[in-house]
Amino acid sequence: MKNTLKVQRAIHELTQEELANKIGVSRQTINSIEKNRYVPSTVLALKLSAIFKISVNDFFTLEEND
Amino acid sequence: MKNKSFCERERSYIERMNKFQLSNKFKIIGYYFTFGVFALMIGKKFFEEPYWVKPLLRGLLLLGMLLISISKDKIEDEFIESLRSQSYRIAFILAILYSLLQPFINYGVGLLFDKNETMEGFSYFQVLFYMLVVQLMVFWQLKRMNK
Repeated sequence: MKNTLKVQRAIHELTQEELANKIGVSRQTINSIEKNRYVPSTVLALKLSAIFKISVNDFFTLEEND
Repeated sequence: MKNKSFCERERSYIERMNKFQLSNKFKIIGYYFTFGVFALMIGKKFFEEPYWVKPLLRGLLLLGMLLISISKDKIEDEFIESLRSQSYRIAFILAILYSLLQPFINYGVGLLFDKNETMEGFSYFQVLFYMLVVQLMVFWQLKRMNK
């Protein structure tokens, strides 16, 4: 599953640390999501979507092998 | 109705057990405890001790490592929980393989030096120690890889 977290973060001028603090996770978690090593839970996906004010569907897209 | 409430009680009990974790300060206590006991285990080699000291120190060492294992990280989020689960799964499988293979490896190596070697079992301490060491190291490694 791909995501646009890094792009959204750049648009909103947020560092990984700042974003992590906003949603109450570690910087490692944000880094792993950005690098597609970790697929977040629905709760975390909704928190991210609320922060960046875009829908979860625009945020995450399925890949062929999903 | 009774069955349902029994199932719900059972489920909530398992859920509570599943979520049980000690606070982060217990991790530091666990480190001090483990290294302290480890130092005592090395130190006791130079002194004559009563027979009960060895099993006691072994038990305390396992307890210290368990404290480290079940204590929360500074930021314990869902990602850390998933890494922790992975480390427990790997440690569990490797400990079973270890307990299955270790007697044969011991026997094989023993045969190289002594033709009269007999196959022996090994203590619960070895398996539990191995399991905890693997869990802690895999967890640490997974966190390091995802920095």
